[in-house]
Amino acid sequence: MAELSHPLLLFLVTAATLVAIGVYGFICGPEPLRRVVALNIISAGVFMLMVVLAYRSNGPGAAYFTADPVLHALVLTGLVVAVSATAFALALLARLGQATAPLPTEQETEQETEQETEQETGQ
Amino acid sequence: MSLLLFDILLCGLLLALALASMLSRQLSHAVILYIAFGLLMALCWARLAAPDLALAEAAIGAGLTGALCFTALARQGQLALSPVLSWQQRCWPALFVVVTFCGLLLALLQLPAQPGPLPALVVQNLTASGVSHPVTAVLLNYRSWDTLLELLVLLLALIGTLQISPAAVLHRSWGLSRSWSRLLAPLIILLAGYLLWAGASQPGGAFQAGALLAAGAVVLKLNQQLDWLAWRNIWVRFFAVAGLTVFTLSVLTVFFLAEAGSEPLWLRWPPELAKYIILLIEVFATLAIAIILTLLVVAEQPQTALSLARADKTEDIDG
Amino acid sequence: MIILLLVLPLLTALLMLLWPRIAPLLTLLSAAICSMLALQLLLQISEQGSRSWLLAGWPSGLAISWQADTLSCLLILLSALLQLLVGLYAFATRVRDKLKQGFWPLSSLLQLSLTALWLSRDLFNLYVCLELLALVAVALVSLSGRIAIKAALNYLLLSLFGSLCYLLGVVLLYGVYGVLDIAGLASQWQTSWLSNSALLLMSLGLMLKAALWPLHGWLPAAHAAAPAPVSALLSALVVKGPLFILSLLWLQLASTEQAQAMALLFAAAGLAALLFGGWSALRTPYAKKMVAYSTVAQLGYATLALGLMLKFNQPLIFAALWLFVLAHALAKAACFLAIGEMSATLGGKRLTILKGASQTMPLAMFAFAVAGGSLIGLPPSGGFLAKWALLQGIWLQGQSLFWPLALLLATLLSAAYVFRVVVLAFDRADPVAPDFSPQLLPQWLALLPALAVWAMALFSEPLLLLLRLEA
Repeated sequence: MAELSHPLLLFLVTAATLVAIGVYGFICGPEPLRRVVALNIISAGVFMLMVVLAYRSNGPGAAYFTADPVLHALVLTGLVVAVSATAFALALLARLGQATAPLPTEQETEQETEQETEQETGQ
Repeated sequence: MSLLLFDILLCGLLLALALASMLSRQLSHAVILYIAFGLLMALCWARLAAPDLALAEAAIGAGLTGALCFTALARQGQLALSPVLSWQQRCWPALFVVVTFCGLLLALLQLPAQPGPLPALVVQNLTASGVSHPVTAVLLNYRSWDTLLELLVLLLALIGTLQISPAAVLHRSWGLSRSWSRLLAPLIILLAGYLLWAGASQPGGAFQAGALLAAGAVVLKLNQQLDWLAWRNIWVRFFAVAGLTVFTLSVLTVFFLAEAGSEPLWLRWPPELAKYIILLIEVFATLAIAIILTLLVVAEQPQTALSLARADKTEDIDG
Repeated sequence: MIILLLVLPLLTALLMLLWPRIAPLLTLLSAAICSMLALQLLLQISEQGSRSWLLAGWPSGLAISWQADTLSCLLILLSALLQLLVGLYAFATRVRDKLKQGFWPLSSLLQLSLTALWLSRDLFNLYVCLELLALVAVALVSLSGRIAIKAALNYLLLSLFGSLCYLLGVVLLYGVYGVLDIAGLASQWQTSWLSNSALLLMSLGLMLKAALWPLHGWLPAAHAAAPAPVSALLSALVVKGPLFILSLLWLQLASTEQAQAMALLFAAAGLAALLFGGWSALRTPYAKKMVAYSTVAQLGYATLALGLMLKFNQPLIFAALWLFVLAHALAKAACFLAIGEMSATLGGKRLTILKGASQTMPLAMFAFAVAGGSLIGLPPSGGFLAKWALLQGIWLQGQSLFWPLALLLATLLSAAYVFRVVVLAFDRADPVAPDFSPQLLPQWLALLPALAVWAMALFSEPLLLLLRLEA
């Protein structure tokens, strides 16, 4: 069933487990900051999967650099995209001022919006 | 055998750190465990023959992301205990995750051991690409459109963050940190310059150099030593934007110059000039990446034109 | 001159960051030029047939592949025109609505990311375009200030999760087939557990980003909290990007067995979106939220058409899918601009503020009613054209009465929520007094797309022909 060598299999399973742990963390939360960290763990898992696939090209008698460079470039792009998105999400979080409390429900949001509008129009 | 033992230890630690981070009650613990996780990931990339990624992950993934998370924690002041989810609330997601994990693993185990045709193609066309390091060739020649869009993603995150402009975190740095950062500054500039130059033929390049510069700049800014590095400074804005501008202008120049003769192809560097074009783009990209990442991590800019906070304040005054 | 279509918005956005004072004029100028270029491109492609490029001239597989077929050109033209229109509206109302400075560079960058997405045929490049689109959209939503931050954060987190699911699928496909471009993958595609899971993962991510039922939870809050011009752009264009990629995946990559298996699921999700979206639109007391739920419902038409296309493989149904998208984009832009104008002038967010609006703001109400007519599907609007194409496609397959009856029920629901607003507006007993004196220009700008969607009927023959050829 499995054609890859043993070290690669180990890293493959690790990558899948990291994705699973990240998904669990994202669904459960409950704080938004934990969800952001969970997203980063999922991306770490996906990148590990990509690097394992890149490592397949490494043969025993190979020249200096034979790991798949396309995948490495894609992971680099992914890393930068991940840090940009994390930074933006954390800025939103900070503005919200509730890094430790879970997000309020929809009804509470609507009520708060209503109150704000009434304050704005009432003045 | 010893390598397998090392691998098992590494993977075990990674999983333990990730799990502990997700399950810990205190949010600060979660963040610290995540930073350790990031550092081990860098080690993991080095083990898997990906030195470029190890450099980038150590600077961006562990360093800057960790600093971002800590700043986010610090902004809300207290380190409270998070609300605990009950057993029942946790078991359905856990079940769902286990099922998807099994499905994913089944799919992953069917992956073939043969690589695809692309690595060979990359090596074949390497001489025409102007650099001798394959990853740089892919990033800045074969798939340069992706890199351009990615620089744009960085800039967009900065615009968004400046708009949101969360309140400044007041802090005073300690003496040891200040003197150490003064020592660090020239070293980091040297290292970053070397990484940029080496990127043409060895692991390195614009992203790693830019991330390293950003890490140094963040340390300096946290010690109140780089006051001029802010969005209101026109030169900072210019260099932040210059990465993309130089890239786009080179594309346009090459496009219009190649008009005479063969069919002009979008984004094609002429093989003789490719090396110099790539170096030019990389220099400006490094500066842009460094500035943007620094401003993203230590964004304390409530007075810029883009900021919503300033607009909110004027509303409060008027209304 | 496809290069200009991409480079112009980019350079103008960068210039605006350095020199904010000229931002609105620069945006409008670049939007106008891009509209003309997009029209020229569409005419050129419809004459000469679709063109493909391998960026930078490297061999296939190594280079990113692009394709400009008539569908992509239509979508590029739509994006450029809507950006111009919404830009004009924002310019006209920027002082009254206190539109923040960040709108202008973000709107140019939105157009750039959409154009890049419609052209790209490389899976990883599409991932980067999706991330770009998500960040621009969230930054635009957060322009509203404090009230929009929660919705924006939720949108961003779910969007990122969707992107990661998509990326995981792409990695699985690369692991097996070793190429990233769609044409290369299509030639080697085989049905297996791997390709199944990759397709499922990618569809999950894309459905989350396109707000297709049942993964639509973030949309009403985000689109309702954003400023009016932003809501128009988001509902009209941003959610269609992931839908485009979804249709590319299932129509060009998936094998027939996989397509047949998923067809009924998509169709059922589409029907559920129509019913639940319409029901929620009827029940909500807020004006913009109602229009946002209407988006969820109308996206159900697109999902239904996609499902039926997978099942029957009939070119008319493909044409119906994209006609829905075009008609909805124009109609929803008109709705959001009209409702935004009325909310801002009459001062309030609830639907009750629209009482007697046919007297105080007849033009805006007319725009909403006309656009609503297309949403319902009254002949001869664009919405009707799409529904007619869909029904014809189903008729040709000789299917049961189930689908037409379901479409009828959905039409009745849309009629219900549109009439809800119209009836309220004609209640002239005690009209709500406006806070600001009604401006005519924004109302005309809101009317324009509504008229355009009815004018689609004039172009019905060429549109149907062009779209059917794509299938």
